[in-house]
Amino acid sequence: MALSGMRGLSVFISDVRNCQNKEQERLRVDKELANIRTKFKHEKGLTPYEKKKYVWKMLYIYMLGYDVDFGHMETVALISAPKYAEKQVGNVGGKEFSESLAPDVQKLLISSSCRPLVRKKAALCLLRLYRKNADVVNVEGWSDRMAQLLDERDIGVLTAVMSLLVSLVANNPDGYWNCVSKCVKIIERLTRSQDIPQEYTYYGIPSPWLQVKTMRVLQYFPSIEDPNIRKSLFEVLQRILMGTDVVKNVNKNNASHAVLFEALSLENMTRMLLVADVQESIKRHQAQIITSLKDPDISIRRRSLDLLYGMCDVTNAKDIVEELLQYLTTADFAIREELALKAAILAEKFAPDLSWYVDVILQLIEKAGDFVSDDIWYRVVQFVTNNEDLQAYAAATARDYLDKPAVHETMVKVAGYLLGEYSHLLARRPGCSPREIFPIIHDKFPNVATSTKALLLSAYIKILMHSQPGDPELQKQVLSVFKKYETYLDAEVQQRAIEYFVLSQKGPSMVDIMAEMPKFPERQSALLKKAEDTDGDAAELSATKLRLQQQTSNAVVVVNQHSANGTSHPAPLSSVSSGTRNIDRGFLEQSQVGPQHNDVPVKAAGMVQSLTADLLGDLLAPLAIEAAPASVAATPTTAILPLEEPPVGPADPLALAVLDGNSSSVQPVGSTSDWFNALCKKDSGVLYEDPFIQIGIKGEWRGPQGRVVIFLGNKHTVALTSVRAIVLPPSHLRMQLPPVPELIPPRAQVQCPLDVLSLHASREVPVLDFSYNNSAVTVGSKLRLPVVMSKFLQPAPISSADFVAIWRSLAGPPNKLQEVVRGVNPMLISEMTELFNMFHICVSPGLDPNPNNIVAATTFFSESGATLCLVRVETDPADRTQLRLTVASTDASTTFELKEYIKEQLVDISSITANPATLGFTGPAAALAGLL
Amino acid sequence: MINAVLVMNTQGKPRLTKFYKQVPVEKQQEIIRAIYAVLSSRGENYCNFADASNISGSDNKLVYKHFATLYFIFVVDGAESELAILDLIQVFVETLDRIFKNVCELDIVYNFNKVHTVLDEIVMGGQVVETNSADVMKAVQDIFKLERAV
Repeated sequence: MALSGMRGLSVFISDVRNCQNKEQERLRVDKELANIRTKFKHEKGLTPYEKKKYVWKMLYIYMLGYDVDFGHMETVALISAPKYAEKQVGNVGGKEFSESLAPDVQKLLISSSCRPLVRKKAALCLLRLYRKNADVVNVEGWSDRMAQLLDERDIGVLTAVMSLLVSLVANNPDGYWNCVSKCVKIIERLTRSQDIPQEYTYYGIPSPWLQVKTMRVLQYFPSIEDPNIRKSLFEVLQRILMGTDVVKNVNKNNASHAVLFEALSLENMTRMLLVADVQESIKRHQAQIITSLKDPDISIRRRSLDLLYGMCDVTNAKDIVEELLQYLTTADFAIREELALKAAILAEKFAPDLSWYVDVILQLIEKAGDFVSDDIWYRVVQFVTNNEDLQAYAAATARDYLDKPAVHETMVKVAGYLLGEYSHLLARRPGCSPREIFPIIHDKFPNVATSTKALLLSAYIKILMHSQPGDPELQKQVLSVFKKYETYLDAEVQQRAIEYFVLSQKGPSMVDIMAEMPKFPERQSALLKKAEDTDGDAAELSATKLRLQQQTSNAVVVVNQHSANGTSHPAPLSSVSSGTRNIDRGFLEQSQVGPQHNDVPVKAAGMVQSLTADLLGDLLAPLAIEAAPASVAATPTTAILPLEEPPVGPADPLALAVLDGNSSSVQPVGSTSDWFNALCKKDSGVLYEDPFIQIGIKGEWRGPQGRVVIFLGNKHTVALTSVRAIVLPPSHLRMQLPPVPELIPPRAQVQCPLDVLSLHASREVPVLDFSYNNSAVTVGSKLRLPVVMSKFLQPAPISSADFVAIWRSLAGPPNKLQEVVRGVNPMLISEMTELFNMFHICVSPGLDPNPNNIVAATTFFSESGATLCLVRVETDPADRTQLRLTVASTDASTTFELKEYIKEQLVDISSITANPATLGFTGPAAALAGLL
Repeated sequence: MINAVLVMNTQGKPRLTKFYKQVPVEKQQEIIRAIYAVLSSRGENYCNFADASNISGSDNKLVYKHFATLYFIFVVDGAESELAILDLIQVFVETLDRIFKNVCELDIVYNFNKVHTVLDEIVMGGQVVETNSADVMKAVQDIFKLERAV
C-alpha cells in the first residue's frame, strides 16, 4: 500500500466499520453529514483538499444506502475548480453532456491529430449522445466516416468505435453496408494475431472484446453478397471454431477460465448458427455441447439445449433426440418441460420414420409423464389416426407399455385411446385378443383421474364393438363396468357409463355409432406453435432469440424465420407441415378446435360428450340415438350436433337471465384478502369465490418443498370456457403450474397441482392470474397465493441452554437485527403466542423470565438448507401498541426477511397508514430533517 | 451498455457501487440486496452469468466473478457480451492488484476513491473505454501524481 490516502476519510471509514449495529452506524453517519453540512455552509474556510475529502465522504455514505440530499452544488463547483485533482472528484458524481457538444465531439473523433485517448472518449461520448438523441448522427455523412474510422490501427480506439458502430447499425443496418468489409478485415487481423500489441492480448487471445463486438456488428448483415468477403469471413469463423478446442486445453491454470471459454464457444456458436454456412463446422462440437447439457449451471444447460435444438437436422436428429431422452430422466425439473417439448418437436420435424416417432413420444411419456403436455399426446393420436400403416404398430407398442408395473397417467390415456381404436388390428397376435386387452387396461382404471376414466370407458365400448359379433364373456365384463359406474359421483363418467350401456344393447347400430374416428384435418402442429410462443416469453430461454425479437432489424428477423419454420430442412412428415406455413391459417384452425378442450376424447366419445354440455342432455340422449342411425353412419360427430341445438335454446335464456343481473361485473362473494389471510394460517380453504367459480387450495409442505393443489370448481350450470390460470412466481420461489384445461364443465371441478420450491427467504408472494368466460362476460382476477414465508418454517423446540448459547454467538447485525415496532395491533401475550405458533414459530414458554417477553425458535427451509432462526419479542405491558422485536439467524437475509415478516403480522396495517409520522421517522433523511 | 458496477463482499456489504443510469437510492439498495440474494444462492461451480431481468430491468444480466471475500459484479444489458464483460472484470481486478500490490478487501474499503478512479479509466458512462491494463495503470498513476501535486 504505497499510496498516500486521506486521513480524515480513512478515520471515518474505520469508525463506520467499527459500529456494532445499524443504529450506531446511522448515528455516526448523521453526525458526519451534519459536520459536512456546517463545513459547506462556511465555504470560505475550506481548502480544496477538504472539499475533496468531504465529497468522497458523502459518496461513501451514499454507497451505504443513505440519502444524501445536499452537496450537489459543491460537487458541481468542484468540476469547475481550477486544479485537476478537484476537477476529477467532481466528475465522479455523474456526467451530463449537453447536445450542443455533439459537433465538437465529432470533430475530435475524426481529427487524426488527437491523441488516441481523446478520440476513444470522443467515440463513447458520441455514442452516449446518440442514445439520447438519434439525430446527432446523420446516416449519409457518417457511414463514410465510420468506414474511415475502422481503418484505425489502435485497438483501444477501434473498440470504442465498434461500440458506436453496433449502436448505429442496430438502428439502421442498411446505411452501413460499406463497413462490412472493414469489419471482416478487422476480425481477420485479430484471429491471425497480425499486428496486435502484446498488451491487448488477453490470455493468449487478441482482444476478445473487439472480436465479440465486431462479430455482433456482422450479425446485422446476414447475407453478404461479395463472394470474396464471404469467403474470408467463413475462414475466420472456421479458425475461431477450430481454435476453441485448443484454447480450452491450454487454460488449465484457472478453473474459472475453463467455464469462460466453454461458454465462449457456446455463446459465439449460438449466434453464428444464424449464418447458414457455418452449420457444418458446428456439428463437430456436438459432443461437447451434449456434455454441457449436464453442466451444474442452469443457464449453460438451457443454452446448450437451445443450441442442440437449433443444430438438429435429419442427419443427427436420431442421436440428439436420444440424447435428450436420456438426459430427461436426470434433468432437473426447471428445464424438463422445455426439454420434453423440444424433444417432441424435433422428433416430429425430423423423424426418419413414423414408428420411430411413436417410439420416441411414448418413451417421452414414460420418462417424464408429468412434463408431457396434452398437446404432445394429442399429436401422436393425430398421427396414428392419419397414418394407417402406423396403427397396428402403435397399438402394439402401447400395449407393451401398459404391461409395465408403474404407468404414468398420460400413458394410460394414450394407450387407452390407441387400444380402443386399433386393438382389433392386433386381434390375431398372441396376448392381444380383446378379451386379454380389456383386463390390461381395466387394471389401471381405479387409479386414474376421472377425465381418464371417462376416456377409458370410451375405449371399452370400442373394444366391445370391435369384438362383434361377440364374446359373451367380454361383454359381461364390460357391461358390469358400465353398470357399476352408472352411479358414479362424477357426472361425466356416470353419463358415459349409462349411455354406453344403452348403446351396447343396440347391436349392429352400435357399430355405426362407434365407428373409427375419421382422419383429422391437417393443421399446423400445436407443438411447433407452442415452441414459438415459449420462445417469446421464457426469460432465460434464449438470449439470442430474445434479442432478435427486441431488435427490429429486418435482416435478423428474416434469419429467425428461416430457422424457426425449418424451410431449409426436409420434413419427412409432410402431413404435418405442408400447406400450413401460413401462420394465420394455423391460428384459425387452432381457434376452431379451441372450445373442445380435450380435443381427442371429445371426438372419441362422439355425440355423447357434446350432449353433456346442457342440462337436458340426459333426457334427450335416447331420442338422439333413436333418430341417429340413419344419418349418423357417414359422419357421426357432425350429424349429431344439430340435434342437440333446440334444447340449448330454452336452456340459454334461463342461464342468461341469471347472468344479466350481474354480468357487468362479477364480484367475489367475500373479501379476497380475508381469504388470503386465513390461508396464510392454515393449509386448505377457499382462495376465491364468485357466483360462477370457486377456487380452493390445499397445500402440503415439507422443508423447502411444497405441493399446492388448486381446485377450480364450476358452481354454475353453464360450462366455463377460456379458463386460464397462470402463476407469476417471485424470484425466491420456483414453481410450475401445468396448463389448466380451457373448459370446466358445469358443476365440475378441476385440480391443478403446483410444485413449489423455496430458494431463499423473501416476503413476496406469488400471484395467480386467472380468468374465465361464463358465456356472458369474461371475468378475471389476480390473486395472491398464500405461499408465504411461514409455509417454509417448521417449529424448532429448543432448550434454554442452546437458545442462550446461539443467541449470544449471533452478536449483531446483519445476523441479528433489532427493531422497535410501533403501531402494533394490541394483543395479549397469549394471543401473540398463539399467532406465532400458527406461523410455525415455536414459542418456548418460561425461557425468558420476564412474563411480558416471548422467546421463540423456528427453522427456515430453502433449497440451500435449513436455517435456525431465533426470535425475541419484548412487550411493554403499559403500551401494547409498541414492542421490541429481535430476530437472529446465521443468515443475514433470512434474519431480515423473517423480522419484516413478523413485523407485518404484528402491525395493524391501517394504523400505520393513519400515522405517517411512525413511518417517516425510519428514513435517515427524515431523521436528519428532524435534527436541523 | 453497462448499467452498474458493484463490488460487495460475501456478506453482502457493498464496497463500491457505481450506477451509470439515474437510480434513486432506495432502488439502488434494493438492487444490491436482490443481487446479493441471487449471488449467495449460487454455488461455486455455477457459471458467472445470471439473469437479472427481474432485478434491474428487462434483458439485464449479472456478470460476476468471485475473488476471495469479494464479488465483482457488472450489471449489463443485452447489448453487451457477457464474456467480454467477464474478461473486463479480470482486467479491472488485475489492475487493482497491481496498484495495491496484492489487493485485498481492506484496500478497497479504505481506498474506495482510488478504486473509483481506476474504474473510471476502464468504464465511462456505461461504455468500455480501455481494456489495456497497462494503459489504465498509466492513466491512474498520472492522476495520483496530479493529486499529490496539489
